[in-house]
Amino acid sequence: MTKSKFAILVSFSVLSIFCGMFFGAAQLDLAGIFQCISHDCASNVDEAIFWQVRLPRVLVGFLVGAGLAVAGATLQNVYRNPLADPYLFGVVSGAGLGASIATLLFNGSLASQSSLFAYLAQIPFSYALPLSAFLGAFFSVILVQILSKRLFGERTEFLLLAGVAVSFMLSALSHFLLFMAEPFAANKVIFWLLGSLASAQMWFVWIMLPVVTIGVIVLWLYGRHIDAMLLGDENAQTLGIKVDSLRLLVLMICAALTSCIVAYCGGIGFVGLMIPHIVRGWFGVTSRSLIIGCVFVGGSFLIWIDVVARVIIENQEIPIGIITSAIGSIFFLFTLQQSRGR
Amino acid sequence: MGMTGKAMLKLSNLSYQIAGTTILSDIHFQADTGSVIGILGPNGAGKTTLLKLISGQLSSQQQVFWRSNAIENLPAIARAQQIAVVNQFNSRVFNLNLEQIVSMGLLPHQTLFSKVSIAQKDVISTALEQVGLSAKAKQPFHSLSGGEQQRAQIARALVQTAGLFVLDEPINHLDVYYEHQILSLLRKIAKQQNVTIVMSLHDLNHAAEYCDQLCLLAEGKLMSFGSPQEVLTQTRLQQVYKTPCDVVIKPSTHKIRIEFYPPNIEQADVANGRNVIND
Repeated sequence: MTKSKFAILVSFSVLSIFCGMFFGAAQLDLAGIFQCISHDCASNVDEAIFWQVRLPRVLVGFLVGAGLAVAGATLQNVYRNPLADPYLFGVVSGAGLGASIATLLFNGSLASQSSLFAYLAQIPFSYALPLSAFLGAFFSVILVQILSKRLFGERTEFLLLAGVAVSFMLSALSHFLLFMAEPFAANKVIFWLLGSLASAQMWFVWIMLPVVTIGVIVLWLYGRHIDAMLLGDENAQTLGIKVDSLRLLVLMICAALTSCIVAYCGGIGFVGLMIPHIVRGWFGVTSRSLIIGCVFVGGSFLIWIDVVARVIIENQEIPIGIITSAIGSIFFLFTLQQSRGR
Repeated sequence: MGMTGKAMLKLSNLSYQIAGTTILSDIHFQADTGSVIGILGPNGAGKTTLLKLISGQLSSQQQVFWRSNAIENLPAIARAQQIAVVNQFNSRVFNLNLEQIVSMGLLPHQTLFSKVSIAQKDVISTALEQVGLSAKAKQPFHSLSGGEQQRAQIARALVQTAGLFVLDEPINHLDVYYEHQILSLLRKIAKQQNVTIVMSLHDLNHAAEYCDQLCLLAEGKLMSFGSPQEVLTQTRLQQVYKTPCDVVIKPSTHKIRIEFYPPNIEQADVANGRNVIND
């Protein structure tokens, strides 16, 4: 990646973060934002909107986009499959199952039955939901990995298919649980599954920032090793790479990134598929420049999609996952058609 | 055989079984530094398995030694620093360019944190120059011809600065021009840079022309090891390939020429050949 391209990326991202703060139900003008940053906000309402609503939302958006895009890019390179996406490994359905179980366990109706449930019901739902979603997502990735290894051995092309199968299985389970649960809880889970940044708070940033930063740095460091995987497993091995361990490391980091994101923001699909494809065209296929490109392009992309989600219908927000899935599915078909032509 | 010097590559009583079936049995030979070894034999003779044992991709029960170390005892990185494997690869998913592929040869010499030094950049450009691809450094790998791709892989091995190159049929699918280009390039590398080269070949005439020593396999057994003249005799080739053949020395070049005939041709016609070498 050239220095000028890098500079353009960074400035575009800063601009996106800045612009992203203007859009929303309440009006904040340019002078107001400058005043908030430099000394003090004009009013308490402005201050609350700026620090507690807009800023965390934009930052979370950037981290979500960056994390999903980087996870997609590295998984694609390490599995040599341009259609690999963290979501195809069953992350969302696993998180959904975790969330469904949480709604059943924490809604208090079971509390009378045993002291364990009574204890669990005391944990605030806003903590319990992301935590169990995280566990569910991680469980799903491990399950996909073990199943595909057992059933298909070294044939990694089957991993994605195993992921799709596991996704359906886990979705069926969570749909059943939601069907049995009370309607209010079910509603909450469904809205969460659609993906949204609406509930973003500053403490999301403090959890996501270290996870995404460490994940991206480790993946970047292994970038050259991941590149060698593009030559095929056998060639990579003769270059001194422990292929299985590297693939497991990348998968675990990507699972951690995606589970963390899904746990707080729900299912935001296709970002990990779309962004790496675009970035490859601009910055090439080698993992290190791809990862850097994905951080900035993915982050900025999600900020702007979130802006669209906020302004497209007046006085209402639509879940961001609906928009990314709509764009992504069309993009997916377009990519398939292009690769057929090649 | 002239193997009195310190042998760089040594195979002693090498055998290999898969699920009780013997693929190779009692293979033994030694090779000096800078020599070109050709592995010959009919399909299924065990050539590829032997190459994978030599490169350490398969476990050899510590019967393969490189510079007095059992190859499989070397850690993966140390092995990659000393042994380069040139395989064909067909992954067309993501389009790396030629230079990116060649620079992957640096990997065994890098840590996670190391930068590419100026000296390493020189190694890359020298390697590209040696294989005659400097002008195409930025081109996508898949836009290159088969011969150019093979030369790019050889350049990667050069960047790896290994002392032993292992190549499985390096001239497969190449036309006559590239066959000679690749083989003479490999021979030049062996002689100029003291690289030991072990490669499997199908064409016996190429093997005779470009290799110092030949290893002839049949059904997993070592039929013969030695110079082309020692190994490529008419009776032995007829026995191994089960096809009548004619082995002559061309008077102009003193090189061995081998010609196989369809089995239904009269043996008498074959035997009429001049300068027939007998065992």
